[in-house]
Amino acid sequence: MTDLGNIALWIALLIALWASVVGFVAGKTRRPDLMRSAERSIFAVWGLLVIASAGLMHALLTHDFNVEYVAAYTSRNLPVFYTWSAFYAGQKGSLLLWALVVSTFGSAALLVNRRKYPELMPYVAGTIAIIVVFFVATMVFASNPFERLGFTPADGRGLNPQLQNPGMVFHPPMLYLGYTSISVPFAFAVAALISGKLDTGWLHAIRKWTLLSWLFLSCGIVLGMWWAYVELGWGGYWAWDPVENASFLPWLTMTAFLHSVMIQEKRGMLKKWNIGLIVGSFLLSIFGTFITRSGVISSVHSFAQSNVGWFFLVFLILAAVVGFGLLAYRWPMLQAEAKLESMVSREAAFLFNNLILIVIAFSVLWGTLFPIISEAVRGTKVTVGPPFFNQVNVPLGLFLLLLTGIGPLIAWRRASTANLKRQFQWPVAAMLVTAAALGLVRMSDAWSIVAYALGAFVVVTVAQEFVRGTGARHRLHGEAYPLALVRLIGRNRRRYGGYVVHLGIVMLFAAFAGLAFKSDTEVTLRPGQSVDVKSPYGYTYHITHQGISQYEQLNRFVTAASVDVTRAGKYIGTMKSEKRQHLDSFGNPTFEPSTAVAIHSDLREDLYVVFAGAVNGTEEAVYRITINPLVWWVWYGGLVLAIGGLITLWPTAQGPTPVSRRRAEPAGYVAQVGA
Amino acid sequence: MWRKSALSLVGLLAAASLAAQAPPGATSPRDSALGAAVRQRTGDALGRLEAPEAAGRAAQRVTARDNEALVKDLEHKIRCTCGCNLDVFTCRTTDFTCTTSPAMHRLVLARLDSGMTEAQVLAAFQQQYGEMIFMQPPKRGFNWAAYVMPFIGLGVGIGLVVGVVRRWARSTFKAGAAAVEAAAAAPVAGATPEELEQLKQELERFEA
Repeated sequence: MTDLGNIALWIALLIALWASVVGFVAGKTRRPDLMRSAERSIFAVWGLLVIASAGLMHALLTHDFNVEYVAAYTSRNLPVFYTWSAFYAGQKGSLLLWALVVSTFGSAALLVNRRKYPELMPYVAGTIAIIVVFFVATMVFASNPFERLGFTPADGRGLNPQLQNPGMVFHPPMLYLGYTSISVPFAFAVAALISGKLDTGWLHAIRKWTLLSWLFLSCGIVLGMWWAYVELGWGGYWAWDPVENASFLPWLTMTAFLHSVMIQEKRGMLKKWNIGLIVGSFLLSIFGTFITRSGVISSVHSFAQSNVGWFFLVFLILAAVVGFGLLAYRWPMLQAEAKLESMVSREAAFLFNNLILIVIAFSVLWGTLFPIISEAVRGTKVTVGPPFFNQVNVPLGLFLLLLTGIGPLIAWRRASTANLKRQFQWPVAAMLVTAAALGLVRMSDAWSIVAYALGAFVVVTVAQEFVRGTGARHRLHGEAYPLALVRLIGRNRRRYGGYVVHLGIVMLFAAFAGLAFKSDTEVTLRPGQSVDVKSPYGYTYHITHQGISQYEQLNRFVTAASVDVTRAGKYIGTMKSEKRQHLDSFGNPTFEPSTAVAIHSDLREDLYVVFAGAVNGTEEAVYRITINPLVWWVWYGGLVLAIGGLITLWPTAQGPTPVSRRRAEPAGYVAQVGA
Repeated sequence: MWRKSALSLVGLLAAASLAAQAPPGATSPRDSALGAAVRQRTGDALGRLEAPEAAGRAAQRVTARDNEALVKDLEHKIRCTCGCNLDVFTCRTTDFTCTTSPAMHRLVLARLDSGMTEAQVLAAFQQQYGEMIFMQPPKRGFNWAAYVMPFIGLGVGIGLVVGVVRRWARSTFKAGAAAVEAAAAAPVAGATPEELEQLKQELERFEA
């Protein structure tokens, strides 16, 4: 089965090469037989990659340690749950997953759109095939997951303990799904640019794909934050690590696109910008992998570095030249059909929203690359860590939060004073009241005050929209309020789903602002000794060390330190933090001991207890105790954001809006009106 | 749940005032009644771990100095040189296999004990390791580029957007004025009031 997988990989490379050539020839010559061949080739490549993936999975589950990848990332005593997740724990397996997901999304895109956009599909097939060729070629020539060893070890090295966490089972695939699904919009953009079919039609084809990609990336990022928080033990969830930044960059550009695409659909503007954003998002997703795999920038994500970074760099440069070269070639055909009429309009608000998102993306990219730039220019190495990113991005993020409230409510074309007053009087009042209240209670952090005031502004803008819409349905149709609310959302999922996403964003900002009140304390306790830790809310945690126990569990030897905790005199439970020494099948230690954190979480704050170690091999324990306000809001903010994304993504019977459909027609709505 | 959520945010407001008055922190460890009883019975003997090596790096007793705000503040500014990308405080309280960050922590304490100010301690670390020892580039010389470039980008972007919008707004105004004049000169030929109403509704939908 393993050898079959290897053979399937080689055949997939040859067929994908054929598809990449024949797709473009079919587009140029408009020969249906060649188009069918390109399409079937993509399906065949997908089938072959499924066989290759099954081969690797078979090798992992049967502990075929003669396969280098299996020996490097699994062991006989690794729980099955993590054995299958070892598929993408290393670089070779994750490349296979990339190729599989690109071909899956590519096949789905061909199936769904083959009749709707016949002029574009040959080029889409060709572009998808080139991306698959790149991944499969990287595997077979530089990083083959089926590579065999000259001997068969009795056991494998095992999986890095930090990856033995449920968060790591779901976080990487989600990120990969996000990175790879942007290949489809990129393929459509390339197809539209080559074919010259630059009406709004291609936008309809890709908007949902981009939204899907954005949704996967959002879930992947939040799951990654959760993993970092519960597994790494440093008491935070975002460290501005280069690899974290690399996932954030395409998220920012996709978010910008999902806003600016509305302007193109409504007003026929920003065509060049939107194509640029799609090309940029694809390049940034490749850049993310380049950062992860090349080791060019120091990162904690050093699980899978190797020389394939250079393959990614070359592909990145080629894709940038082709993408932006085509955009320059078609520049004259991408003229706006309408023009902005006022700075006080939704178009202008969306433009500023795009500007801020791109500036944040630039600042993150600039900060990530600055150590390399500094070394090249001055020959001096510098570190660009969280203090830099927070300093630069906090004001930008708050400006973005303000625009999150303004954009959806301001009128298209030109907002009148009456419109502004009607839409913003309550949100502005809420913002001022919140800021005043926080000032009155002497909140010590100015940025947090601004964040909560702007959060209140956005929440009231969103609530106002729901209240007005529901009220209108209640009055017009006599529906009960809950039914009116459900139907309101159902009738315009894109709009109201977007509002729900905005609520999720506010929750995330509220959580980030809470970090200003985080506190860390280190303490040494003997069994029976206690320490009082004061929460920023004013009450006291009374923490009593119970003792340390040691035992074997699954594939590890556990040293567990327990504390009893009361809050404001009320017992809230026993918390257990562990040191885990993982063992191989022969009982020998593998890897360094890892930490399992004890977390008591509620809406207000997390009590985060880390067993730092035992003093002189006794039960006297060192703990780090962190109070993390509002962390709950990160996870549920992420959930609300995902729910909003799903509402927006959910298919409607109507499809694109009538205006947008008309714009996609060759004559175009504006032309008809003007005729 | 939402009521609890709202209460949580309100709680944060209250927390802010408390935080401003009395910073959160910990008291010194003390025996609980149970702990005192156990210690009396066992003669203060501490249980030994069966496999101490499995509990990671041997921990040192925490002193009051380890929790001093100045020490934490300094260590948040200095990068651990073990290659972890974390600051010294985070590394020494997180990566319990690292032996570099505890050594750097001891160096921070020693330098403070020798009478150095915070700035002098930072300068000593820079002399020892170079600029890369700081968690962010010091704000001087070429490093300013790191801080100002995003805001220069923002300024240029705002300038471009405002410029483009103004230019477009002027041309739209002129085009609009010309269209109004043309419309006044030649009203929609042959349109019935119903058709005009339909057109109006269509435009309203378009603009919605």
